[in-house]
Amino acid sequence: MTPEARFRAYLDAFNNSDWDALRACYAPDIRLVIGNGTELVGREAIVDFYSKVKQQTRRTIELIQCFADGNVLAAEIESEFLALEDAPDFAARPMTRGDRYYLNSFVFYEFEGEQYTRIRAAVFRREFKPLAAPRTA
Amino acid sequence: MSAQSSLRPWFEAYLAAFNRADFPTFGACYADEVVFHGQAAQLVGREAVLDFYRKVRTYLDERVDLLTFVGAPDGSRIAAELRTTLVAFQDWADMPTGPMRAGDRRQSVNFAFYEIADGAFTRIRTARFSPQPGSRA
Repeated sequence: MTPEARFRAYLDAFNNSDWDALRACYAPDIRLVIGNGTELVGREAIVDFYSKVKQQTRRTIELIQCFADGNVLAAEIESEFLALEDAPDFAARPMTRGDRYYLNSFVFYEFEGEQYTRIRAAVFRREFKPLAAPRTA
Repeated sequence: MSAQSSLRPWFEAYLAAFNRADFPTFGACYADEVVFHGQAAQLVGREAVLDFYRKVRTYLDERVDLLTFVGAPDGSRIAAELRTTLVAFQDWADMPTGPMRAGDRRQSVNFAFYEIADGAFTRIRTARFSPQPGSRA
């Protein structure tokens, strides 16, 4: 499987909340820096973090582009968060049920074999849409 | 040399020209209608980008170091992790990313995506990478 195909499978696992499949994508000592600068260390820390995110929001990730060179894959992804409950402590910003939040991010995934060892994200664009407001961009 | 493997030396030559303020050489890497979404400016067109950097160079020295490079197999895109170091030699109160005084030094890490056609950048977009203190950049 190419790094690009493996990445698409990884996003599918993420979007389907397939935590076992996600764990298998991460090296045990993986380090992940999310868009707000928070660093998560270890696959369980990552799965715990995303499990909580997905309790509060319905997050889906759309792949805009990805390509690999050596042991690094670069990806541009677009994430949508739909708040399922009031989430005043949500990582990106406080959310109220029904709010939507969009992030367009640039991400580097370093890998060894079939597992990611280091992931770092930077936010290119962010957009907040309060409850029921239609998306414009 | 493949399209992918030729990208890195070409990109490194671009950065070297940029760092020595060789405007004709690095300017030749921009398409006429390049779209530039930088941290300090949103610009369209080679001359607009060069005018911006000419202004920058009247206030400060700018150096960009390549930390991570990912070239697309077909040669159409580059993703790069870049460390930018700014050293002001003149006060710049309305510097777009924040005022600088002569002697100030500012460093940032950015993830940049470049789109390429006919040997020139057609679109450049950058996102600030913001690891929290203690994270490994």
